[in-house]
Amino acid sequence: MLIQQIINGLTLGSIYALFALGYTMVYGILLMINFAHSEIFMVGAYCGFWFLSMLPFLSAFPGLLIPAMFLAAIIFSGVLAVLMERVAYRPLRRAPRLAPLISAIGVSIFLQNLMMLAVSAQSQPYPESFNITRFQFYGATVNSLQIFIFLLSIVLMVLLEIFIHKTKVGQAIRAVSQNHVVAQLMGIDVNKIIAMVFFIGGGLGGVAGVLNGMYYGSIKYNMGFLPGIKAFTAAVVGGIGNIRGAIAGGFILGLLEAFSAGYISSENKNIIAFAVLILVLMVRPGGLFGEEVTEKI
Amino acid sequence: MKKSLTLIIASLLLFTGCAKEDKTVIKIALVCPLTGDVAAMGQGMKRAVEMAVAEANASGMFPGYTVVLAAFDDRADPKEAVNIANRIISDRRIFGIVGHLNSGCSIPASQVYAKENLAMISPASTNPKLTLQGLKNVFRVCTTDDIQGNIAADFVFNTLRKRSAAIMHDKTAYGQGIAESFKSSFESRGGHVTGFDGIDLGEKDFKALLTAIKSKNPSLIYFGGMYTEGGLISKQSKELGLNVPEFSDDGIFTNEYIKVGGKATEGDFASMVGIPAEQLPKAKAFMDRYHSWYPGVDMQPYDPYTYEAAMIILDAVKKTNLDKSKMVDYIAGVKFSGILGQTGFDKNGDTLNKIVSVYRVINGKFVYQPKK
Repeated sequence: MLIQQIINGLTLGSIYALFALGYTMVYGILLMINFAHSEIFMVGAYCGFWFLSMLPFLSAFPGLLIPAMFLAAIIFSGVLAVLMERVAYRPLRRAPRLAPLISAIGVSIFLQNLMMLAVSAQSQPYPESFNITRFQFYGATVNSLQIFIFLLSIVLMVLLEIFIHKTKVGQAIRAVSQNHVVAQLMGIDVNKIIAMVFFIGGGLGGVAGVLNGMYYGSIKYNMGFLPGIKAFTAAVVGGIGNIRGAIAGGFILGLLEAFSAGYISSENKNIIAFAVLILVLMVRPGGLFGEEVTEKI
Repeated sequence: MKKSLTLIIASLLLFTGCAKEDKTVIKIALVCPLTGDVAAMGQGMKRAVEMAVAEANASGMFPGYTVVLAAFDDRADPKEAVNIANRIISDRRIFGIVGHLNSGCSIPASQVYAKENLAMISPASTNPKLTLQGLKNVFRVCTTDDIQGNIAADFVFNTLRKRSAAIMHDKTAYGQGIAESFKSSFESRGGHVTGFDGIDLGEKDFKALLTAIKSKNPSLIYFGGMYTEGGLISKQSKELGLNVPEFSDDGIFTNEYIKVGGKATEGDFASMVGIPAEQLPKAKAFMDRYHSWYPGVDMQPYDPYTYEAAMIILDAVKKTNLDKSKMVDYIAGVKFSGILGQTGFDKNGDTLNKIVSVYRVINGKFVYQPKK
């Protein structure tokens, strides 16, 4: 049972972690919480859904279909996030900090209702994209989809780490996150870098949405809300603005949820998980990885 | 100047007052979730009342009057239900309410309608508390949870011969109520309950709880709640290798359940109030009419009940000669013969038809299971 709960928690945690990266990256660079990120997640899931249901002829080539679907979801949700930044946040960049926050909430409500009215108010079954095989593993059951979710998120996180720390653009992102003005003086196009951060964060959020849809088998216009709150919490616990922190926070939250539901009480699993998180924040107010102030993103 | 201004305002008020109340209209209110998690059932209820209203207008039931449906969306949210109830009692052309769907909404809203002694017939709220509040204006055409939970327990114990069950519920008045009733009657028959756990509405991941349930080896999962969570529980339990059927209530008795849960729902059970519509000639005729009105649309489980509730209200409006004050007393004593057979109400307002049937998912469809 312990192993099974760890598997449950890690699968849940991979999705939270991928999702949390978008919150933490945007905070790192703009010091704002992008509440509309949960809608990017939802739109990403729908994009995968449309891709799978509109291109049935591709299902003959599953090796091609799945990468193509994820690519489509990344591009679609990434572009949506960039648009969001351009329309709703950039005009408010010099406004008081509450203004973009309210704007983000507005974007979130707008997108949710748009999807409800334009697409459907019902949950829709997610097409099965590959045959799921189950493995027995020390008395626990793990299926190929869970392994896929875990591996894909690890790969994406490693790629992101390399991108941020080893490339020139990554260096520019880190520079902008420390100081917009100075970065600009060094010849960095700040607007371009911010748009890029939104694109990456949004793309990862879209992937998390597709994974969520594949894993649970159904999607709905309000599917982003609850996981959004949890991913945001994961980002805060890891130390908001810190990429490794968000990843760790996501996995910690997933495992905490699985253990409290499995061993203590499923009715109060959110209460238990969040109570532990509050305790963590009381001991380390900056989050687990929050002290590296010099490197925010 | 001042005087003329007051006059203008007063006449404006008078004018809007007149425009608001069209005396040739008879309004029937329907309140249920039209959006949100259980909207599929609510939309079905709306189709049923639309049909009842259209038929009443076409048949000339009320010469000189037009029957109009006033549909409200309570989003399965008790707060919204009370807001709407307050709006309804301020509309004098509304003669009665068909609704609500969720017991958690019906109970607080019924207290608002009671202030104006406005008749409310719920087609689908099955929590026993609704009619035990001592309110004269509250009726329902469906059987209550204690009867449904008891029959489900009897079926599991005596027909399926299963001796242990893990119970889950969604913490709502409806889901928890029916789960508790199942628990007590299953235990009183000698069944063993391995666990009794609540889940959160809107949550999608129940694997941690199901893993804990699996370690206790129940031979069945009983779930009190609605189809979205019910379908996910069925799917996830089988993914974990917990290959036992899920037995649930009328809240999952819809094709949406099979859509959400996929192939995993094969072999699951649902209890549903009433006898299968196919076995009643009038109900069969209703189903044929419904399918010709709404081609290609799945009928939802409470559509016949909603239709019946609307017909009882329309009948009462006619028999009391549009006298709203007599509606409640008339319905309390009615013997209405409609698509559900003959409907009458006991002193609490509960229907006298107390039959519950069990269905099983076979080849992706709910199939009636006779009791052995």
